[in-house]
Amino acid sequence: MRFSFDGREFLGQRGDTLASALLANGVTLLGRSVKYRRPRGLLALGPEEPNALMTVGETPTVIPNVPAPQLVLRDGLNARSQNRWPSLRFDVASLLQAGGGFFGAGFYYKTFIWPSWRAYEGLIRNLAGLGEAPGAAAIPPPSIEHLACDVLVGGGGAAGLGAALAAARAGASVVLCEREPELGGELDFETATVNGASASDWIGAVRAELAGRGARVLTDATVIGGSDGLVIVHQVPGGLAGRDSMYRVRPRRFVIAMGAVERPIAFTDNDRPGVMLLGAAERLMVRYGVATGQRPLVFGNHDRIYAAAARLVGRGIRPVAVIDTRAGATTESAALARHRSVLERAGVLCLAAHAVLSVDGRGGVRAATVAPLRTPGAARRIECDCVLVSGGWSPSVHAGLHEGGERRYLEGNGAFIAASQPEWRLCAGAANGALELAAALAEGFAAGERAAREAGAAQGAGPVPVASGDPEPRLVPFWRSPASIAAEKRQFVDLQNDVTVADLRQALAEGFVDIEHVKRYTTLGVGTEQGRTGGALGAGILAELKGETLGSVGASRTRPPYHPLTLAAIVGHRAGQQLRVLRRTPLHEWHEANGGVLEPAEFWMRTRYYRANGIDAFAAGIVEADRVRKHGGVVDGSTLGKIEVAGADAARYLDRLYLSKASTIKVGRSKYMVNLREDGMVLDDGIVLRLAEDRFLATTGSGHAEHMLAHFERYRDTEWSGAEVALANVTEAWGVIVAAGPASRAALGAALGPEWTARIGQLAHMEFADGMHGGAELRVLRASFSGELAFELHCRPGLTVGLWQGLVEAGLPPYGLEALDILRVEKGYLVGSEMNGQTTPGDLGMDGLLKLGNPCVGVALLDRPAFREPSRPKLVGLKATDGKAVILGGAQITRASAPSRSLGYITSSAYSPALGEWIALALVARSDAAEGMNLVARDPLRGGDVPVRVTAPVHFDPGAERMKS
Amino acid sequence: MNRLVCPFCGARELEEFLFHKTLPEAGASEYSAVYERTNRLDDSLEHWQHVHGCRAWLEVRRNPSSGDVLEIRMIGGGRN
Repeated sequence: MRFSFDGREFLGQRGDTLASALLANGVTLLGRSVKYRRPRGLLALGPEEPNALMTVGETPTVIPNVPAPQLVLRDGLNARSQNRWPSLRFDVASLLQAGGGFFGAGFYYKTFIWPSWRAYEGLIRNLAGLGEAPGAAAIPPPSIEHLACDVLVGGGGAAGLGAALAAARAGASVVLCEREPELGGELDFETATVNGASASDWIGAVRAELAGRGARVLTDATVIGGSDGLVIVHQVPGGLAGRDSMYRVRPRRFVIAMGAVERPIAFTDNDRPGVMLLGAAERLMVRYGVATGQRPLVFGNHDRIYAAAARLVGRGIRPVAVIDTRAGATTESAALARHRSVLERAGVLCLAAHAVLSVDGRGGVRAATVAPLRTPGAARRIECDCVLVSGGWSPSVHAGLHEGGERRYLEGNGAFIAASQPEWRLCAGAANGALELAAALAEGFAAGERAAREAGAAQGAGPVPVASGDPEPRLVPFWRSPASIAAEKRQFVDLQNDVTVADLRQALAEGFVDIEHVKRYTTLGVGTEQGRTGGALGAGILAELKGETLGSVGASRTRPPYHPLTLAAIVGHRAGQQLRVLRRTPLHEWHEANGGVLEPAEFWMRTRYYRANGIDAFAAGIVEADRVRKHGGVVDGSTLGKIEVAGADAARYLDRLYLSKASTIKVGRSKYMVNLREDGMVLDDGIVLRLAEDRFLATTGSGHAEHMLAHFERYRDTEWSGAEVALANVTEAWGVIVAAGPASRAALGAALGPEWTARIGQLAHMEFADGMHGGAELRVLRASFSGELAFELHCRPGLTVGLWQGLVEAGLPPYGLEALDILRVEKGYLVGSEMNGQTTPGDLGMDGLLKLGNPCVGVALLDRPAFREPSRPKLVGLKATDGKAVILGGAQITRASAPSRSLGYITSSAYSPALGEWIALALVARSDAAEGMNLVARDPLRGGDVPVRVTAPVHFDPGAERMKS
Repeated sequence: MNRLVCPFCGARELEEFLFHKTLPEAGASEYSAVYERTNRLDDSLEHWQHVHGCRAWLEVRRNPSSGDVLEIRMIGGGRN
């Protein structure tokens, strides 16, 4: 398979990852570090890899920060290294470091403060950060699948396989998810046996048995989080977003068996390419056939290093030395003795109570300096081409720490496990601190059996499989080799964030004592790998520096997700139309075809203006509004919310929801009504039509229908649950055309024919007529939102276009939202800017409605002293004192004498063609809201200060002569 | 808590439901019912609507600190 890395072409094998293929091609320099730009190679195999992060693909579908060991090779793969400029081999910024400069914790905040941080921000931001962000939302979201099962097992290693097997045998429905493409975890390279068979045979048999018992096995699938009985699993085949899947799993029991992450030991220059985790090197060799080096030096603090070194000898690679930090072992297990004798026969130098102090070499390892721990001065130089290091294992217990879980310190492991679990979760195996194969498998098996039983499965799981593998590691925690204070700057703890022992020491010296504070100050463990390798190391070294135990230092809190996700994966299908539906009125196509400029407004696409009337909304709106007043026009009102209220109790029910009574409306008539929230604030207004004795149509603001329906349902169901009332949102069942202006009556007659002409001629203000037109229902309501003579036509959606076209041909040109707004501001009619949830009926000048004394929802709380205070807002009109200046919505209103004390603000404003000047509606403190008051509208970001005069809210035709004509 | 069991529809994802309010103590004044609702950490009586389902209004008693739902009752019979 061909692939390219940083523009160079390479060949790889099927089944390789990018990391294994590059190493097989002799490429060991895989990235540079984020801060010091030090050359870096591969440390680990898995999402914990801190160095070899790749950018894959091209803009805009580029995906950054993909760990090379997780990226499965495919033909034509195009990957690039990160944090380098102009190239990986030669990086300009790394010269900063060559000058001896090391930036300690807090360096940026302390250094770049003169003249201000902003002066440096651009340059530093350019150097900072990981990878390149995709340019657009071009990565498809993963599919989402919901699963339910008796037992979910996270982890397909020894413990996980044991758990899944036991649960399935007990009769439970099982889902098993494993992060790697293959099951087995550590089993496949420990030369382990299970029930006498080779581990790989046993894995195959378990896989077959699980399939036979109906268990579902997900590979490439990582548990990224979970709480309250819901576990999120992210499956990323090939390691690359864009082809991923999410599973939302609801198991009755969840067995956490996700193993443990090997951690390194800090020594000077331990970040050089060629310093690799021992387990990673073994896996590279067994799974991918790639040798990390021909002369490795093995360094660690437990018995396993001998087993691994012996296996290397068996595979034809002779380690130059095995360096054990522990003093000589007092008791030797049979297995250890066997491994040591292999090493002895091969002539491998084994040193106990020694440590690697440092390595030589820049782009790779040339030699290691090794010294006895008691006398570090007596150091010797051992030539080698790589250092394989193992400092123990940190349990992957993230899923066991969600939902408020605490950690417990295991002294023998130098590591933390989950302290206690809610009843639906169990931890087992290495994730629970059981590091030896047989113990991990037995613990997993027992956990699976117990989980199945608790989930209701009745059968027994049978005998526990007997495993044998590497000996008990008998680890003695060892976090870092001795170093001078100067050398601590090159003892790397968190490789991804370039956090060194020196940074930890400095954080402590500056008073950052708690592990969480140290983390935030030094950036320890904040990268893509979330401190998987460096976190435990940091805590251990911190404990050492503080002179405390690791148990008392603790570890920083872990939060989901376990590995980096694309935003597309988090958002999922909740985007675009599926997040926020855009509704189209029946006239949508007509508007588009006739120059309508459509914009989203309150979930609807609505026409702002028509292009023929002006170059922009402002110009066209004036033309359209002026024409309505002088002649007439039609506007699409289909977005009007409509709720039908029916039933024997409908009238009494509505009486309790509105400030005025619905029960006094005669059939065939309508009323402008206002309803309140329970705290007394105005919720919405609209016209309520009485269609029959027991049927009403309540109209609501555009886009408010859903909310009002829930409000209506709530009072029906919770407060007056005996009421016989049925509610239906019929918003989309009716198209609405509003014909307004002096010419509207004649045009309606011409469009609808003689029969309707007579009926329309007889309609009084707020009266409506129901009938048929063109074979379908038509309702004509005489009501006005413009102050002109106007009619609302409610018709079946399919008839809307024909009726509209007829009215346009009868001489009523269309107008849009901009003109609608001008007309209603001229009349002082209210929209959401005034009914903003903070205004009472009293504030909005609805004293007439309040005087009716109808005890509806919300009225009880209106009688509070605070609502009568002089600082309460009052709806007023405003005009510029000089009659010319522009006043805009949002401007703050003050007295001229007290420019910094706001009395209120402009809620809506418009240039009125009928009046020839700017007018506004505003909410102004009662103390200053008397008509004729001179105030100032302050708008420093746009227009500056404009002297204004308070007027009545109705600017035009205060006697409402026109709409009653 | 990421699921509610609707008495009419069964167990459904939380995103189908809309929280409305914590109910006031019995006998609270109208002012107190709106403005002085206590948030009890162990036992909270709430109104929810199964808004993207059967639209029933639900009285939910739950323990907000543990997320345990103690009781769900449909109010008003869920008619429509």
